[in-house]
Amino acid sequence: MRRETRGARAAFVAAALLLAACHEIPQDAAKPYAGKEDTKAYAGDRFNGDKAKYEKALADRAQNENEYLRTHDAKNQ
Amino acid sequence: MARMKFICDAERCIECNGCTTACKNEHEVPWGVNRRRLVTVNDGVPGERSISVACMHCTDAPCMAVCPVDCFYRTEDQIVLHDKDLCIGCGYCFYACPFGAPQFPQAGAFGLRGKMDKCTYCAGGPEENFSVEEFRKYGRNRIAEGKLPACAEMCSTKALLAGDAPVITTIYKTRVVTRGKGDQIWGWAMAYGGSDQLKDQAGGKT
Repeated sequence: MRRETRGARAAFVAAALLLAACHEIPQDAAKPYAGKEDTKAYAGDRFNGDKAKYEKALADRAQNENEYLRTHDAKNQ
Repeated sequence: MARMKFICDAERCIECNGCTTACKNEHEVPWGVNRRRLVTVNDGVPGERSISVACMHCTDAPCMAVCPVDCFYRTEDQIVLHDKDLCIGCGYCFYACPFGAPQFPQAGAFGLRGKMDKCTYCAGGPEENFSVEEFRKYGRNRIAEGKLPACAEMCSTKALLAGDAPVITTIYKTRVVTRGKGDQIWGWAMAYGGSDQLKDQAGGKT
């Protein structure tokens, strides 16, 4: 009886150890930033905190890289 | 929320170094530090290709993961920046970066390294926008002016594209499809192992 109890206890410890290996530490946890706070790009006089205006300015600017659109516009003028 | 990225179109890059010069000039980058540089594959061999490389502002940035002083942060536009006041110049980020983006100015004799310097996507750093301190440490802040990075805007053939990821991928896709190589060379299969489809195409993989 005592031998069986010891065996069961050993099996329980072995199972616990095996399952412990299944534990995975998350590796993509966001690391804290320890530096100074940066001001928002749209916070200055140019956009006065208007995020939508800022995003539109960048999106419009990006279309200058699309010469298919630019030449199409030129043809229509 | 924008996700600012670079794409370099190797079919268009003519290795003029306009992007590297624009970067150097815009930010008055010191001697020995190259925030952007050109890499040419098969230089001198017919069919050589060049691409312009700098910090790619990774979505899961390894520099950020390895930094022992946590000096990296991400802006609202997903631009990866760092605080030079915290940086200890250890060089871990240099080993972690797959693009060789982090640069270290020589700060004295015996190879002593200064604080890390890298492409800021022309977005400055954690100082007041347009301040003298911001320019001295990180360079000009074009993003806060509503402009895109100088390297991409200066690119004569528009090989280097900068902007919100969906916008520039649409521009690039239009080019690829217009070149006549077809829609099949665009997307997941092409990016991850489907380049065999190019072998029947003119100028494709042999």
